[in-house]
Amino acid sequence: MLTRRAFLQTTAIAAATAAPASPKRIAIVATVYRYLSHAQHMGDRFLVGYPHEGAWHHPDMKVVSLYVDQKPQGDLSAARAKEFGFEVYPSIAEALRCGGKELAVDGVLIIAEHGNYPRNDKGQVLYPRYEFFQQVAAVFEKDGHSVPVYNDKHLSYSFEKAKSMVETSRRLRFPMLAGSSIPVTWRLPSIDLPLGCVIEDALMVGEGGSDAMDFHALEGLQCMVERRGRGESGVKAVQMVEGDAVWKAGVEGRYSKELLTAALSRSDTPLGLTVADGRTQDLVGSGELQKIVKNPAAYFVEYRDGLKATMLMLDGAVRDFNFAARLKGVGQPVSTQFLLTPEPNVTYSACLMNKAEEMLSTGVAPYPVDRTLLVSGILESCLTSKVQGHSRLETPHLQVTYKAPSLPQFSRT
Amino acid sequence: MSNSFRPKLAGVVTTYFKYSHGQHIIDRFLDGYGWNGTHHRPEMDLVSLFVDQVGATDFSRERLKRHPEVKACTTIAEALTLGGSKLAVDGVVLVGEHGNYPRTEKGQVQYPRYQFFEQIVKVYRDSGKAVPLFNDKHLSWNWEWARKMYDTSRELKFAFMAGSSLPVTWRTPAVDMPLGAKVNEALCVCYGGVDSYDFHGLETVQCMVERRRGGETGVRAIQAYRGEKFWAALREGVWPRPLMNAALCRSHTLTPAREGFNHVFPTDDDMQRLVKDPVAYRYEHADGLRSTVLLMNGLVKDFNFAAYVNGAREPFSTQMYLPMPDGRTTLANFFSPQVNHAEKMYLTGKAPYPVERTLLTTGLTAAGVDSLFRGQVRVETPHLAIQYQAPKESTYWRT
Repeated sequence: MLTRRAFLQTTAIAAATAAPASPKRIAIVATVYRYLSHAQHMGDRFLVGYPHEGAWHHPDMKVVSLYVDQKPQGDLSAARAKEFGFEVYPSIAEALRCGGKELAVDGVLIIAEHGNYPRNDKGQVLYPRYEFFQQVAAVFEKDGHSVPVYNDKHLSYSFEKAKSMVETSRRLRFPMLAGSSIPVTWRLPSIDLPLGCVIEDALMVGEGGSDAMDFHALEGLQCMVERRGRGESGVKAVQMVEGDAVWKAGVEGRYSKELLTAALSRSDTPLGLTVADGRTQDLVGSGELQKIVKNPAAYFVEYRDGLKATMLMLDGAVRDFNFAARLKGVGQPVSTQFLLTPEPNVTYSACLMNKAEEMLSTGVAPYPVDRTLLVSGILESCLTSKVQGHSRLETPHLQVTYKAPSLPQFSRT
Repeated sequence: MSNSFRPKLAGVVTTYFKYSHGQHIIDRFLDGYGWNGTHHRPEMDLVSLFVDQVGATDFSRERLKRHPEVKACTTIAEALTLGGSKLAVDGVVLVGEHGNYPRTEKGQVQYPRYQFFEQIVKVYRDSGKAVPLFNDKHLSWNWEWARKMYDTSRELKFAFMAGSSLPVTWRTPAVDMPLGAKVNEALCVCYGGVDSYDFHGLETVQCMVERRRGGETGVRAIQAYRGEKFWAALREGVWPRPLMNAALCRSHTLTPAREGFNHVFPTDDDMQRLVKDPVAYRYEHADGLRSTVLLMNGLVKDFNFAAYVNGAREPFSTQMYLPMPDGRTTLANFFSPQVNHAEKMYLTGKAPYPVERTLLTTGLTAAGVDSLFRGQVRVETPHLAIQYQAPKESTYWRT
């Protein structure tokens, strides 16, 4: 409940920021700001602009404050602050208040990826996203005013914490956007699943290990399957298996070899014999897949509406992210590659920051944060399955329901 | 075409080392490739292979061992006749890129495409029968020979397809020039060397502008700008700066001009520092269209197109996306749509897009090299009055 005083302040700030001559003021809350960290390549988009629809786009926004949790060798925070005229503050609250007594920004970017943080027994890096978010929300609550928050990647390693973050955003009524760049980057081919389609089977192939790249792969899967039927219904059970159990599951038909072939057919990075002599490969048909993937992992996701989907982490087979699904009434599998463009430009992060900018400027998240909430929970439960003997786990807590945006959100213009 | 028709193909290549064009293209016929969401195996058989240079890094022997159905041939005629007296194949795959061949005084590598072509058509003539022929990249470094290749294909009435993979690969975004559009300026920013990737840049432009109103009308003149003359031309606005900027904004590989930044838009000073040997080709089509290809090694590693279309103020732009196995990928899958189009030609007897496109870009490449050689003068190109219509259907990779 807003107090009268807070309401007057809110409207005063709103009036001040509504003037066309004053760009939105942005605070960045980051773990580290060094070259090619997420904070650098995402935060910089708001400092130096980025390519969008064939033009170099400069957001009508000004970064006014930065908080960095760690300043390792190569830290760029002070240099950026000096060049672009903002302050690096020693606390999140001070960054949001720009050293004053009240919230003094129109939007917050929480970019808590990279940096030295411990891992838990499930192998999850304990990035302090929840902790950062709580400090951001505490300022909003105390100052009686909330502004949009973008949170890079998953919300938290813990579903309970992630859920609390989303609940807080709803309680304090601020728009929130989160997640990976995979859902919004270019696709080869440039396709989306038709909204309301009936998915008979879905499979995603990723690589790069846990817990970092498995999140990206699961979000790639989720941004596709959420377009089915009447929308997302949540997840009732998950299981993660590793090693030979992955191949055995394939033999038993727990995932489709046709879809695996389809997904791999989209890859530009098959390894093994292709690296040796450049040849094309049917990795599934030739049996090479089993030879070159030393430690495969399968993440099985059972949705509450009956859909069963699989995400395979196939380190050693490919180095890109590819999706395939069988749709009812469509003869051939539908498949695509999520194009992760090369370093150092990593233009996919420009695609993602364009979505963050959209939310900061309109106050409306272009796609639901519930996607990332659900994926945060799927990942955590899969990793729980991993440490609990790869057992199947019921996930009654993952009754996360939402509707996909009606328009495709990936980069295509 | 009967479903039972399963063409037999002869492969004629200069060399077959890892990531050579011969390896990329012939492998796709032998081992298949990812296409439309499956591992596609062409419904035809490569039955013979001639390799001109078999060096220490050769993989053709490995392929022949693994595919004993392919006859290793020591002459082109043998590959086409399978050792008999007459043409015994239904199509020929000619890949005359890579390998050790001498350069001309202008720096052009003398890949023996014309010589190979002549040997192929000799078998055609001797057999009284001609079959579809795919020729990778430009027709010849030598314009006269290229023109002769084209004329021979018309005389013997065989389907003839050639060119780069740039026109047929993925695009980000997946857009084509609207058929019949008014285009007055078009530009490509790319990378690579003269008489090499400049051809790919020219094909990038050509596959788009050929769709303009009235179709292709041919090119009247070309001028190259290199080094200091390039920078002077940039400053003087010889080509439209907004198109160059738009093309650079489609790149995924813009070299960061500043340390500590992963992606910043370069200033002119940045570009001058990063690009040691810039080359521009600026040319005039007969209907007034002006086209420009900018080779900017050191600044980008991809092919980006921009044009003014239908009077719009904002440039129309896209990237012709090459998943290049230079560390970015392991498989040069831009060869897949090119091979797929060639397959269709072998099955139907019809080229999927006009070889006149590549005749023109072959002539433009040679004329650009000529302009450079002659001190970057304007070169009139009356011989490039090549007119043709683009296919209505888009032929780039979308599925």
